[in-house]
Amino acid sequence: MARIEISSLAKVYPGPKPVNALDHVSLDVAEGEFIALLGPSGCGKSTLLNILAGFESKTEGEVRFDGQPVGKAGPDRGVVFQEAALFPWLTVFDNVTFGPRMQGVAKPVYEKIAHDMLALVGLRDFAHAYPSQLSGGMRQRVGIARVLVMKPRALLMDEPFGALDAQTRLSMQELLLEVWQRLKTTVVFVTHDIDEAVLLADRVCIMSARPARIARQINIDLPRPRSIDDLTTPAFIRYKAEIMQVMRDAHPAKAIAAE
Amino acid sequence: MTHGAHEAVTTSARPSAYGLAAFRGGLHLRKLAAGAVLPLLVILLWQLAGTGGSLFGGVLPTPDRVASAWYTWAFGNRGMGMNPYSGSWFDSVVFSTTRVLQGFAVALLVGIPTGIMIGWNRLVAGAVDPALQMLRPIPITAWLPFAIAVFGISSIGAVFLIALGVFYPVVINTTQGARHVERNLVRAAQMMGASRLDILLRVVIPASLPSIFTGVRIGLGTGWTAVIVAEMIAVKSGLGYVLWDAYYLGRMDVVIADMATIGIMGLLSDQLILMIERYALSWRLVNSNR
Ligand SMILES: Nc1ncnc2c1ncn2[C@@H]1O[C@H](COP(=O)(O)OP(=O)(O)O)[C@@H](O)[C@H]1O
Ligand SMILES: [Mg+2]
Repeated sequence: MARIEISSLAKVYPGPKPVNALDHVSLDVAEGEFIALLGPSGCGKSTLLNILAGFESKTEGEVRFDGQPVGKAGPDRGVVFQEAALFPWLTVFDNVTFGPRMQGVAKPVYEKIAHDMLALVGLRDFAHAYPSQLSGGMRQRVGIARVLVMKPRALLMDEPFGALDAQTRLSMQELLLEVWQRLKTTVVFVTHDIDEAVLLADRVCIMSARPARIARQINIDLPRPRSIDDLTTPAFIRYKAEIMQVMRDAHPAKAIAAE
Repeated sequence: MTHGAHEAVTTSARPSAYGLAAFRGGLHLRKLAAGAVLPLLVILLWQLAGTGGSLFGGVLPTPDRVASAWYTWAFGNRGMGMNPYSGSWFDSVVFSTTRVLQGFAVALLVGIPTGIMIGWNRLVAGAVDPALQMLRPIPITAWLPFAIAVFGISSIGAVFLIALGVFYPVVINTTQGARHVERNLVRAAQMMGASRLDILLRVVIPASLPSIFTGVRIGLGTGWTAVIVAEMIAVKSGLGYVLWDAYYLGRMDVVIADMATIGIMGLLSDQLILMIERYALSWRLVNSNR
């Protein structure tokens, strides 16, 4: 049974000029699979992810999570936002324990998990700092740690490293690979960066121009565990070339400009 | 795994950033000294321009006369109540300050929850906002006859006017804050299993705090305006009452001492709120790199 089953999902944003964002998208994600949704900005990636997360309603079609139609947002689907969306008035530790506290987890239990997760993302020494004291990359580590403490059954990540500088982005990708290697959580990762998609994902789903469909799905059979050293291997570059070709066909003028 | 080491921490991120507060304290004194130059110069010129203790043919007393009247007003012997401006300064200050505090408390207790609800709940906004927008253009001075008619010549009328004056800026700024909470913060809370009440208490209210404080500080200014206006007409005590009374008795020295008192009280209360704000929003003040 696939963990996420999307069939004929359509989304129209109502309004004076309705926006047709998703056009009958179908997609299955298996338990423990890491998939990347790839497409230029404005094509509907966030819309798809937000419907999965339960933030947006769908217009047509079906979205099932573990066999159940997705309802409102909840801790079973951990979302990592592009700008981290941490609570600036809480310390790193209080941000990370927010979820368990909301769910009534016992303090000794969540404190231990929170410390473990902070160590896992390399922020053990910053538990008592405020988000405003952290760099963009560190904030995003907190964003990841605070969903991991909830032991979500899927991670939904919307261009989580899109706002980071190239160097930081590489170290974050490496961190995510390590974390995923350990936890093997189902991940839906939205990105417009081809390198990032190939490096991280088991499968890259290329979205067409709006209204979005899945134009093509490409399995990435690079061996695991991966690291950023894979970025320069011939196999990697072959995948990249193939995807670029599909992108060019799916998004005639915009594809390269959006990079 | 030591990922933390790969990245540079922004300068303000070091724990020593907390030490900046002490450093700023040192700067504060110097700024204070620089700010005192202009007023002192004005006072000096004013003093030198006067002849025989006054300017403009006796209308405006010189600063030394004001100071001496102020001294008597503050520390003078009350005698047999013959001189109303002897030793009664402190009482007047207490009367006015108490009214401002009372009106302020009422305004915050009503205004903050109202603003949060208008900003957070569309139903409440639809029901309350139009009425507020209609009442708001009525200046508090226009409410004076109403207040006197309803509450008589009493402290309650003054407190009512002050509360009203403080209420508007508080409610409007609180509404703004609650309405513009970053969408992803609310979504993040939902995603982590927060209930609607949790979101209200743990996201909307803290996220609105900076706007609330803006409203409170503006409201404080309105509050002092309201207390003076109210005391000039609707009550028979306090700094506003003395101001008008002294004018009628031709005691311009007391009028000016009274004005200076109001200025000082306004400044002190604003500084007090600023201190509370710095403390309550300390999470925001450490991020000097934004
Ligand atoms: N709340 C909304 N109301 C109306 N249109 C929207 C809304 N959110 C997104 N859109 C539109 O839907 C399209 C897809 O947006 P989005 O899913 O954010 O794309 P992506 O994440 O791929 O950049 C865009 O044209 C965008 O302008
Ligand atoms: Mg997007």
